[in-house]
Amino acid sequence: MVNKNTLSEELKIYEENKAKLIKEANGKFVLIKGKEIVNIFDTQMDAIKVGIDKFGNDPFLVKKIEEVDQKQNFTSNLIICPQ
Amino acid sequence: MPSVTYTSPNIQIEGPILEVHFSISSELEKKYIEESKQIPVPIVVKSLIDTGASSCTIREDIPKKLGLEPIGKIKINTPSTKDHECFQYVMRMFMPLQGLTYEGVFTAVSLEGQDIEALIGRDLLQQGIFIYIGYMNQFTFSLM
Repeated sequence: MVNKNTLSEELKIYEENKAKLIKEANGKFVLIKGKEIVNIFDTQMDAIKVGIDKFGNDPFLVKKIEEVDQKQNFTSNLIICPQ
Repeated sequence: MPSVTYTSPNIQIEGPILEVHFSISSELEKKYIEESKQIPVPIVVKSLIDTGASSCTIREDIPKKLGLEPIGKIKINTPSTKDHECFQYVMRMFMPLQGLTYEGVFTAVSLEGQDIEALIGRDLLQQGIFIYIGYMNQFTFSLM
């Protein structure tokens, strides 16, 4: 079951390897499971498909490789974010 | 190109709302069939087409009800918060009678008020056509 630590290890691995990934594959998508960088893909859905094929319904990280993470923006006040 | 047109006298108050089904992705469904696992029953939810949302969102409890695990974690900005961390899930959204299907990433958030359980954002609208005819209380949504 998902908790606040879910994907923390994968995000840590991404941050540790970010400079190398940006140098080699800026704008592409990386698939990370645990401490392993599985592969790099051209599209997000390609990475997700391989992730599901390899890991099924286990958490895994698909992340766009970019210098500054693009944030999602919402103008609607329907979304409530606990402080 | 499958499409749906709705006319509602309350469109100005309620907004362009679609009743859609959410299920696990087709890739995961294939995996479940191979492993003889039970496939969760799709969940029907009210979705608002929201041109102010940069991506699609889903109320947090829906992916949990489908037993899904996340495939990403991102930061979002809303009118009241900045850099709020949210999990992402890959899901299939469909309207069986109209033949509309979209498979993609949905950000799990807390959605309060108006009984809305999902926002259809600009990442999905990028793949379709959305026409809002206010004076006719009507909207049309088509998806490639």
